[in-house]
Amino acid sequence: MGETIAVLFVFFVLITIGFIFYVKVVKSNIEQEKDEFSQLRSVGVAQRVMFLPELQCSEDNIIKDNCIDILKIDSAQSLMKENEVYYYDLLQFSEVSISQIYPVEAKWEIYSRSLEGFKSKFVTNIPISLYNPSTRRYGFGVLAIETFSK
Amino acid sequence: MKTQTKSKNLVVPRKSGFSTGAQMEILGLAIVVVLILMATIYIVSFLVIKTPTDYRKGFVSAELASNMLNTLLKTAAKDCSQLTMTELFQDCAQGQGIVCSNGQDSCMYAESTAKKIFEKTLDKWNMKYEFLAYTDINAPLVKAGSRCLSEKRSKLFPIPISSATMYAKLDICG
Repeated sequence: MGETIAVLFVFFVLITIGFIFYVKVVKSNIEQEKDEFSQLRSVGVAQRVMFLPELQCSEDNIIKDNCIDILKIDSAQSLMKENEVYYYDLLQFSEVSISQIYPVEAKWEIYSRSLEGFKSKFVTNIPISLYNPSTRRYGFGVLAIETFSK
Repeated sequence: MKTQTKSKNLVVPRKSGFSTGAQMEILGLAIVVVLILMATIYIVSFLVIKTPTDYRKGFVSAELASNMLNTLLKTAAKDCSQLTMTELFQDCAQGQGIVCSNGQDSCMYAESTAKKIFEKTLDKWNMKYEFLAYTDINAPLVKAGSRCLSEKRSKLFPIPISSATMYAKLDICG
């Protein structure tokens, strides 16, 4: 009788250890998948911002890649404030800013909707040309996209 | 009485011998169980635990080198009659006829501007890089950063000049 109880005890201990191990593995996999999803979301938001027609340069209806029109920025800022819900669907909880590095330094905040108590934050910096249509010259800028997730 | 002592004498050594054998068997079983457990953990760690994929790093490093170079080459130089960096590199490779308003020739101006831009971007983001503009890779006309020792993302941009082709190359390390 005592032996049977001992064997059963060891058996259940092993089962418990196995279960704890399995739960830990599943938990770490879920965390990993969550992190990967946040990363993909961050990449998605970065790409959406890079191709926003509200900011992109164009000439005779031909779009220029990796280029932001400086004269469009002010209008885009006010447009994004007026249509918060529409842009939330596109950009979710993120902060988008454009910094001009050369020839002169300048900074524009395009969209800002931060998340309180966020668990992870991804910052993506993309070098981008800043086109001034009045002078027809390009400056060197950086498009900074910060995405938040819980 | 004699038979009783005999039987007692017979039982005692047999009992102790059986006990040692059983202990050895249990020890053997325990070792087998531990080995099976270790093998299971090893297999599970391979099958169940996935290696994390860094999607963002892949995207950023793929975009960074090409965007950086494209943007740099399009940028207008503020002290050189608003010529683009491409035009300055071309002049640098073709004999440095251009002198900028700050007194620097095209090679020096292009190099200082490139360094200024990299300082505010790649250096600030703690990224190692090497930028070269050359017609002959062994004698670069413009150089910034230091050579990548291991993995790198590279972007090569050919620039046409009168005699041949020059290249602008940016390596982002890591």
